[in-house]
Amino acid sequence: MTAAIIVEGLVKRYDNRTVVDHLDLEVQQGEVFAFLGRNGAGKTTTTEILEGYRTRDAGNVSVLGVDPASAGPDWRAKLGIVLQESRPLGALTVRETLRLYAAYFPNPRSVNDVISLVGLEDQTNQRAGRLSGGQVRRLDVGVALIGNPELVFLDEPTTGFDPEARRQFWDVIIGLRNLGTTVFLTTHYMDEAQVLADRVAVLRDGKVAALGTPAGLQALRGDVEICFSLPHGIEIAALPQLSKPAALAGGEVRIETTAPTADLAALCGWADSKGLELPGLTVERPTLEDVFLAIAGDATADQA
Amino acid sequence: MKLHMLAEQVRADLLAFSRRPETLFFTVFLPVIFLVLFEAIFGAQKVMSNGVELSQSTLQVPAFMAMGVISASFVALAITVVNRRETGIFKRVRGTPAPAWLLIAGQVVTSLLIAILMVIVMLLLGRLAYGVTVEPRHIPWLVLVVLVGAAVFSCLGMMLAALTPSSEAAPPLANVVVLPLYFISGVFVPVESLPSWLGTIASWLPVAPFVKAITWPYSPATPTPWEPLILLVLWGAIALAIASWRFRWTPRRG
Repeated sequence: MTAAIIVEGLVKRYDNRTVVDHLDLEVQQGEVFAFLGRNGAGKTTTTEILEGYRTRDAGNVSVLGVDPASAGPDWRAKLGIVLQESRPLGALTVRETLRLYAAYFPNPRSVNDVISLVGLEDQTNQRAGRLSGGQVRRLDVGVALIGNPELVFLDEPTTGFDPEARRQFWDVIIGLRNLGTTVFLTTHYMDEAQVLADRVAVLRDGKVAALGTPAGLQALRGDVEICFSLPHGIEIAALPQLSKPAALAGGEVRIETTAPTADLAALCGWADSKGLELPGLTVERPTLEDVFLAIAGDATADQA
Repeated sequence: MKLHMLAEQVRADLLAFSRRPETLFFTVFLPVIFLVLFEAIFGAQKVMSNGVELSQSTLQVPAFMAMGVISASFVALAITVVNRRETGIFKRVRGTPAPAWLLIAGQVVTSLLIAILMVIVMLLLGRLAYGVTVEPRHIPWLVLVVLVGAAVFSCLGMMLAALTPSSEAAPPLANVVVLPLYFISGVFVPVESLPSWLGTIASWLPVAPFVKAITWPYSPATPTPWEPLILLVLWGAIALAIASWRFRWTPRRG
């Protein structure tokens, strides 16, 4: 595999604020790469530098082997771009929109192929202005695919979607991956990254704070969490010795453990011998969402 | 291949134009409605133009022809360009291999086609409804004036678009610029009936020279009005310089 995107020491400042701070990144050809972070973490700035819309203050960037800052139309012919805020021309139909964008590219896909790829067969002759939010976004992706790109940028494509529209949108991205297209996906939804991405980078304060497969990131906080309500009349000190100390909050006991089997055995044996039930006993792995929250930092800290 | 791109761009721009009722009304129907109304109200009056007595009816046809060209090339163009910029459509197309000039050329050619349509409508209406005609030997001049006028007002439209901050501001701004000019430049009111200082000011602004040049084929008693045409081209050059200086492809907020 070769790299579709290589970023080394990327820096971008607005006035005196450093938005992207010595960012390093490598995206392999054919992978779906999710770029996560809170608003203001530098996602869109980085993405727009990779797309050639913005200049950078320092660092090396190579996208499909070319520096976006000096790239020309031949390079743009290999890209598909879905901007964070863009609307197709409301007065044109789905077919007319795709036909127009097809004219911009040297080797476009057929309009009909793209329409079925993004699942707009029933809206072919509907004006873009009368599509639902999810359908407009799928048309947006269709516009990004019409040129038969090697690499597709999607900047927060599902923000504001209802769950049904998101799932439909995910199917489109999964279809893209199956075609072998490299996808650079910006999102602040962890579940989206979990479903779609081969690898995830979590951005915080303009730097990559964590990088790995969704499963690998989850393993960063590999602890299993055991929870139950403290039985009536029992002190927390009365619990048996466990691999990690138990925390008590609002009558709820919480143990983050790396040895869940041994700890559970100890807890259950102890409770059984005393004839106690452990009310609301649960054993859970932290979700990727929890991992993300831990890495990306709390919302107030990153407000730009 | 580039011509194919331009053809597709103009096709899409014309489709989009024809499907927006508000631009269609203000650009195409309003000048026609004005002509019909003004002919009904003032058509019978006589007017002294360059020492020749003419019926008001004759002068109103080229006056509203000028309005049609300005509506298409200046007002509609400026509003559309601001809209495309602010909705991110320009930015998006700049991310494709399409060359930058294509977007501008698409708009300019589209408005030129609409302007030509307006001229043809006014020529026919003038001839069939009001018996006002242009002699065949003056047709080349009319073609020249319409082409120069459309080009110059497109430059002015691009300048206005470059200076307009938002989609909401574009229609009122364009009309605020153009409406007073119609009044003082011989579109709504004959220049002869204006106070002379107002006429003098107007004669240096872009609308009056255009009206004068486009009116000439209808009252060709005077020498060919090259001076207004040259003044118009100067305005176009200034506007083009300002437009290229301030023009941007991306939304203000983005």
